[in-house]
Amino acid sequence: MRRGRLLSILMVLFVLGGIECFLVSAQEAWKAGAHVEIGVLGSVLFVLGAGTGMLAITTLRKDCRQLITHIERMSLNGKLDALRTNNPEIRPLISALNEMVEHADNSVADAVMQMRELEIQLKVATAERQHAEAIIYSISDAVLVTDTFDDLVLANESAARTFQFDLDHSRRLPVEQIIHDEKLVALIRDMRQSNSKTGRRIVEHRIKGAREEKIFKVTLSSVTDNSDTPAGVVAVLHDMTREKEVAEMKNDFVSSVSHELRTPLASIKAYVEMLIDGEADDEKTTREFYEVIQNEANRLSRLIDNILNISRIESGLVQINKHPQSLMVILKEAMEVIAPQAKLKQIQLIEQLTPVFYQTMADRDMLYQAVLNLLSNAVKYTPQGGTITVQTSVDEAKRKIIARIIDTGVGIPPKDLPFVFDKFYRAEANNHMGKGTGLGLSLVKHIIETVHRGRMFVESHVGKGSCFGFELDLCD
Amino acid sequence: MTAKKILVADDESHILHVVSLKLRNAGFDVITACDGQEALELAISEHPDLVITDYHMPQLSGLELCQKLKEDPSTAGIPAIMLTARGYQLEPKDTEQSGICRLLTKPFSPRQLLSTVNEILRPAA
Repeated sequence: MRRGRLLSILMVLFVLGGIECFLVSAQEAWKAGAHVEIGVLGSVLFVLGAGTGMLAITTLRKDCRQLITHIERMSLNGKLDALRTNNPEIRPLISALNEMVEHADNSVADAVMQMRELEIQLKVATAERQHAEAIIYSISDAVLVTDTFDDLVLANESAARTFQFDLDHSRRLPVEQIIHDEKLVALIRDMRQSNSKTGRRIVEHRIKGAREEKIFKVTLSSVTDNSDTPAGVVAVLHDMTREKEVAEMKNDFVSSVSHELRTPLASIKAYVEMLIDGEADDEKTTREFYEVIQNEANRLSRLIDNILNISRIESGLVQINKHPQSLMVILKEAMEVIAPQAKLKQIQLIEQLTPVFYQTMADRDMLYQAVLNLLSNAVKYTPQGGTITVQTSVDEAKRKIIARIIDTGVGIPPKDLPFVFDKFYRAEANNHMGKGTGLGLSLVKHIIETVHRGRMFVESHVGKGSCFGFELDLCD
Repeated sequence: MTAKKILVADDESHILHVVSLKLRNAGFDVITACDGQEALELAISEHPDLVITDYHMPQLSGLELCQKLKEDPSTAGIPAIMLTARGYQLEPKDTEQSGICRLLTKPFSPRQLLSTVNEILRPAA
């Protein structure tokens, strides 16, 4: 510690002494050639001074090397540490360096902290973006997001499907290159150009697909960035083709129901008025009028029952009481009820039934109504003198019982066959054969398929007859 | 004076019956058809003074029947009353162009039908 300073003082003294002696001896020797000893002493002192100087430099170099080694070790470990020295000459330098190192150390620590925070923020932002993208990808509506240049920023699979583009190669491309639908592109552009910050526009848009035209509800919204300046447009396309169809079906249903209800009501109202006005002048006509009113009132009541039953089954509100039942017993009962009507038209009823011990889990009343509807249709559409065969068969392997009601009636044209179970559908060609509500077969299908989880089928040949049948599971 | 002849077309036999009876009781000569095609043939052969027709009928609808009658010069002058439960489906221009002068909605009043018929065929002198 003190050795350095002592050496320095000694070195200075030696050097000064050496120089002084040398100068004096040189002066004296020049004048008288004496005092050679002083000159020698001066030289010795000079040499000693120089030696001490060398020693001081060596010590300094050694201290510096130690410092370098220390710094190298720190850089190797990546850890900043305070520098130390025994040399008082360089101690202020080391202190200044240490202060600087400490400052740098603090700055590095701050930077590392900031970096970690940024890393966390990045992870959160990435997760949030992936989450948002996952939501957009998972929704069934088509989503298109464009920026201020009308380039596509984001789209989901539904959009890719609707507009038939490759999702992976569509980003950052001008939207008109991806979507070949001028009207929609114009809508997106108009929305962006309107510079609206909170604007929203909803338009109905039709897109012609390969097979059919679809109707979309397009919701266009402006997107703004943090500074509230418009940043692009989000277009969400909701396919409402099916909704439109359902709405149309509902309208058709209401209009059909009202027509079907008006028809018997029209007869009742007209005949009642005729009776009031005394237009039926004899007892036979009066009785005939009463009968018409009664039949039409029954028709109205049947119609309302059918509508209510169908809507109850469709809405799941109907009370179903399933018990093991013999389908053959139900068929026989229905045949007995229909027999008088068949006899009126000289229609022969043929029974080809399997033994009654085969049972099926069924709601007796509903199944009876279904069978009666089928039999009543068969009688209605079979001309005088025809036959109706009621047949059952059992498939033991599949544990199924199959019922068939086969008539020799007018048959159903092939173009009408796929629609016979639709509500209010009546094959126009057979309209003259009898009045119907257009609900009977729809109800039968509901009873067999919705209530009993069975399967309904129909085969028909115009002029030869029809076969309506169903299959149900057998009870274990 | 011979009785005026009215053709009534409807696929509902009860309606056909009640309308015919009301008109016959009022002194009209009534002929009936249960579908549009039969009505067209009868109209051409019988030349009635008035046609009362349903809208929704097999073979030929009431509107088509009236349009065909309008197209044929021999029947173009026959006025028509449409008696229908589906009046809302008809456009005013369709009825005007088909010679349909009145539209009555089912359920209807035979009394009102008769007075409409009288208005057309027996205008107050």
